[in-house]
Amino acid sequence: MTAAAGFTALYRRRLSVSLSQPAALAGQVLTPVLWVLVVGPALARAFGGFTHQVNYTSYVSLGQVVFILPFSAMFAGLTTMFDRDWGIMRELLVAPVHRAVIPLASTAVVLTVAAGQFAIIVGLALARGAHFATTPARLLTALAAAALLSAGVYGLAEFLVYTIKKPQAFGTLIPAIGATPYVLCGAIYPIAVLPVGIRWLTWVLPWTHGVSLLRYGLMGDAAAGLHQIWPAGLSPASAALLSLAFLAAFAALTQTAAHRAFTRSTLK
Amino acid sequence: MQVTRFTVTHMMQVTKPPLVVAGLTKTYPGGVRAVRGISFEVAEGEIFGLLGPNGAGKTTTLGVLTTLVRPSGGRALVAGLDVMREPLAVRRAMGVVFQDSVLDNDFSGFQNMRLHARLWRVPEDRIAVLLDAVGLTGRASDGVRTYSGGMKRRLEIARALLGRPRILLLDEPTLGLDPIVRSELWEMIRTLQAEQGVTVLVSTHYLEEAQGVCDRVAIIDHGTIVALDTPARLIADLGQHVLDLGVGAHPEPVLAVLRQAPPGLGEPMRTGSAVSVPSSLSAPELTDLASRLDLTPAGATTIAIRPATLNDVFLHLTSAARARAEAAA
Repeated sequence: MTAAAGFTALYRRRLSVSLSQPAALAGQVLTPVLWVLVVGPALARAFGGFTHQVNYTSYVSLGQVVFILPFSAMFAGLTTMFDRDWGIMRELLVAPVHRAVIPLASTAVVLTVAAGQFAIIVGLALARGAHFATTPARLLTALAAAALLSAGVYGLAEFLVYTIKKPQAFGTLIPAIGATPYVLCGAIYPIAVLPVGIRWLTWVLPWTHGVSLLRYGLMGDAAAGLHQIWPAGLSPASAALLSLAFLAAFAALTQTAAHRAFTRSTLK
Repeated sequence: MQVTRFTVTHMMQVTKPPLVVAGLTKTYPGGVRAVRGISFEVAEGEIFGLLGPNGAGKTTTLGVLTTLVRPSGGRALVAGLDVMREPLAVRRAMGVVFQDSVLDNDFSGFQNMRLHARLWRVPEDRIAVLLDAVGLTGRASDGVRTYSGGMKRRLEIARALLGRPRILLLDEPTLGLDPIVRSELWEMIRTLQAEQGVTVLVSTHYLEEAQGVCDRVAIIDHGTIVALDTPARLIADLGQHVLDLGVGAHPEPVLAVLRQAPPGLGEPMRTGSAVSVPSSLSAPELTDLASRLDLTPAGATTIAIRPATLNDVFLHLTSAARARAEAAA
């Protein structure tokens, strides 16, 4: 069997698990709707006055991308855990499919869901009055940032699933990893307002690079905040490339760690 | 007939035993020696039982054959393919039913079958045939979450046969099922094996069930095969009948009587408050011998004679092995 055929079968199955249940589908769709239509405007009223250079509705809607996508990716780890402990994982492991394809197909589904949520957020934000200005290269940068952040967080989730083993312990990490970085990374306010010590922490958070790249790609240099991460002398394009490389390294690291943990856990 | 490379390869594979295990060992990290050098072969079309108590090494052995466990030593060949060198081809050649349910609970019976068909790349038109064979046609579109334990196991057997495997591996297929369902399931396994012409390796600790189904059995204890033969020959080697004696908490006087008994009685085996003695005598001869022994005055509370079973063979072999181990220690 070709790896592609195995991948397709696994991808279709995992996508069905993620979206076939009405509650799961509603959760995946309604979360961005709620955040863009209700939470975003509320944040705009509360914090919107801090800058006059950018449209805060646009600013915070892209901030919501780095909440919803990573949170969904962390939650996807629960499906993996369920498959392993009470579901179909062993059937997949004895299938004539290269085992490395199993986590790859799961990551592809996470990216598919992320793409849908990204489209909903941007679409609704536009409907609510957000303004985005982009070029093909900048749009690609933003999409790559969203994809790398999702893939990286899912890699981390899968690594934890195969390392921690207990559902209760993993459950406590979902909000810790899925949500806490969101409030630190500059999604709601610029990281420049944070104390210097905390700012150091935000620089190593992939979320910070993700949201800056999204704004770089869809809102322009002024809103991006890349100059708050990298030395001021760098051009915006160079800073964006560095942040993209940072995100790519994050995704590669967590995906590799996840693959190793998966192999160690499934082959005794 | 046009001879193709496929034909030659297929013929070569067919002439080899479908399953060969040679000197297999497995030591888990931490030093647990689950399998200690076992060897056996399973012939084409055979139902072969791997019998033993929990923790004997059965599941580890099946784990090696299904490429889920990496062996520490020895070799295992499935359909002539080395499990370590050609794991994908090995997995294609077999169907597996695990000890506990491994189904997608979010999906229907049909959807579970369809996923298997896609992964094994086999036509989906066989799904209906197999669901019918296991009596699940009427429930095919229901979620497996609503299935009983027996229905889930039937579905898993049908699923394992979907890819037309040469070998079917069943790990404790009747575990946790009630006696009626267990009996029906064994009957179904036997029927499907005959219809599909598949070789079956089944592990179980229900020895008496295996006695009626398996062509040959290997009894495994503490990671070692202690006997391997047909159930009938293993039982014949032990003795056709067993004398069961209730002895309470003080079996010594009864054991002393048995030690002085005339020829025809085997080694007594004590289990709890009972002593079982295998015998090569016929039932009337054994009844006559028991009536001549002073078993009741020695403390025997009950005396019964029954045909020997695989269970007796297992108890005899494992207690003898333990006695040897204790003596060596």
